[in-house]
Amino acid sequence: MEDFEFLRNVTIGQYLPGDSFVHRLDPRTKMTVMILMVLPITFTLSYLANLLLVLVCLGFVALSGISVKYILSGVKPALGMITILALMQLFFYGDTYVPANMQIVTLFHWGIFHVTNGSVQLVFVSIMRFLSLLFLASLLTNTTTTTGLTHATEDMLRPFAFLKVPAHELSLVLTIALRFVPILAEQLETIMKAQASRGADMGSGGKLQFIQTTRQVVVLVVPLFINAFQRAEDLVLAMESRCYTGSAGRTRLVHLHMTRTDLLTIFVVAVFAVGILIVPFPV
Amino acid sequence: MAVENGAPIIKVNNLHHNYLRGTPLEVVALKGVDMEIFPGEAVGIIGRAGAGKSTVVQHFNGLIRPREPGKVIVDGLDLSDPTVNIKELRQRVGLVFQYPEDQLFERLLGDDIAFGPRKMGVPFAELRPRVQWAMEMVGLDFETFKDRYTFSLSGGEKRKAAIAGVLALKPKVLILDESTSGVDPRSRKDLLGRIRCLHEEHGMTVIFVSPNMEDMAGLVNKIFVMADGRTVMSGSTREIFAQREQLLEYGLGVPQVTEVMHELKARGYSANLSVLSVEEAEAELWKILSS
Repeated sequence: MEDFEFLRNVTIGQYLPGDSFVHRLDPRTKMTVMILMVLPITFTLSYLANLLLVLVCLGFVALSGISVKYILSGVKPALGMITILALMQLFFYGDTYVPANMQIVTLFHWGIFHVTNGSVQLVFVSIMRFLSLLFLASLLTNTTTTTGLTHATEDMLRPFAFLKVPAHELSLVLTIALRFVPILAEQLETIMKAQASRGADMGSGGKLQFIQTTRQVVVLVVPLFINAFQRAEDLVLAMESRCYTGSAGRTRLVHLHMTRTDLLTIFVVAVFAVGILIVPFPV
Repeated sequence: MAVENGAPIIKVNNLHHNYLRGTPLEVVALKGVDMEIFPGEAVGIIGRAGAGKSTVVQHFNGLIRPREPGKVIVDGLDLSDPTVNIKELRQRVGLVFQYPEDQLFERLLGDDIAFGPRKMGVPFAELRPRVQWAMEMVGLDFETFKDRYTFSLSGGEKRKAAIAGVLALKPKVLILDESTSGVDPRSRKDLLGRIRCLHEEHGMTVIFVSPNMEDMAGLVNKIFVMADGRTVMSGSTREIFAQREQLLEYGLGVPQVTEVMHELKARGYSANLSVLSVEEAEAELWKILSS
C-alpha cells in the first residue's frame, strides 16, 4: 500500500515545541555542545568510549523529553543502505583497518572476503557513532526553532569577520534552506498525489526496475523544480521590495542571552569530551 | 437534477483520519464522516479551512486509505481491502487538486494530457480521440493547442489543460478540490459552465469542493457541510442555504442573493429564502415590489 506522508518519516529537522531543559538552553550552547561531542565521537575507536558516548547522548535525549522511538523512526528508510555499508566494512576492511596497539586476528578468510577482529570492531564502533550523531543532530533540530539556529550560526560565525566570513549571509542561506525543506516536501507530496491520481505508479516499479523508477522520477522532478524556482524568484522579489540589502546596519528583534546554566553545561560537556579523548580505554 | 436510483456510487461510513500518525505532531483531521453520493449527482462539500474536506475527497480515489472502523466503498470497491485494484479505481474516480497546473511536466500539451490514458494502457489508436475529447470538454481547441509548449501557456490555459489531463481518463466521478480558485473571473465562469455540461450532458457524477457559495449554488444539487472533521449538515442546496443561522455558526455563509432575501425577510418583507440565482432573485424582488 502506498503512503504519501513523507513527514512521518522525516524526523531530523522537525522542530517539536516543548519546555524541557534542552529546549530552554541557548541555541549557541546546543551548537557548542554538539561540536564538542562530535570531536570524541569521530576520533575515539574504543568500544567502551563509544558506548559511554551513546549513553551520554541518550541522556541528552531523556532530558529533552523527546521519545527515542521517534528519533529512531527517522532511520527506517535508510536501514537497507546502512546494512550494506556495515557488511562492506565487515568483509573488506579487514586488512586496511588497523587500530593502534591492536593484535590483528583473522576470523574468516575466503577469496576477497577478509574478516578480522579489527573490522568487527569497526562495524560496532560505526554503529555506535552513527547512533550518537543521529541523537545529537536530531536533538539540535528537534528542540531549536529555525530562528534560534539562524541567530546562533550568525553569532558563532561573527568572530571570523576579520577573515571576511559573511556571517549574516551564510546564516540567511541556512535559514532559507531549512525553511524550504518542509515546503518542498509538502509540494512533492501534492505532486505525487496528483500524478498518482492520473495513473502514474508511485513506488511500484520494483527495486531493480531502474528505467521505470527513473521515468517515475521525471513526472515529479520537473514540476517540483519549476515550482521551486518560482518560489525562489518570489522570495527574491519580496526581499527586494522590502529593501533587504544584507547585514549592514541591520538590527535584531531577538537577542540571545547565555545564562549560568548554559556556561555550566558547556563546561561539563567540554571536560567530558576532553576526558574521553585523553583517557586510554582498555578496549 | 439528482437521480437517486439504486446504490450509491460513493458510500462513506464513520471515517476517521489522523495526519502524522505515530509522531508527536499527530493531528486529528476526521472524526466521523458519513456521506452517500449517488450516480449522476452533483454534490458540493463546504466547510471552513481545516474542516477536513480535502482529506475526505482524497479517500475517494485511494490516495488515503480508510482505517478501522471507517469504511469507504466506491463503485462497489471496498477501499479498506489492501488488494483492491487502485489503478482501476483512479481511472473511475478523477481527482483534480487545488493548483492542478503544478502537475504538468511534458514539453507539449497534447503529450501531457495523454499521460494518464497512456498509463492506464489505452491503445495508441484511441489516445488521440480521447485527448481531443478532453481538450474540447475544457474549451481548448485540439488543433491549436495540442503542439503548444506546456510552459508557454497562460495560467488559465494551464488550469484547463490540467483538468483535461484528468478528464482524459474518462472517469465516472469527477472531484474538483478547490480547482477553480485563483483564476480570473471569466475563466472561472467558463470552467464552471463546462463542469455543469459534463454533469448534465455526459451524466458524470461531480463532487465539488469550494469556499465560494455562489459557485456552489450554480452547480450542485446536494451539499454536505463539514465542521471540525465531521459532517454536520446535509441536504439539497436550497435546504442548506435556507438555514443561514446554522451556516454562520460553522463560519460559513450563503450566496449573496440569498443573503439579500434573508435581510429582506428580517425587515418584514415576505421574501422567499430558497432563492439561489440572480434571475430567481430578480423575479422575487418584482413580486415583493408589486405586492
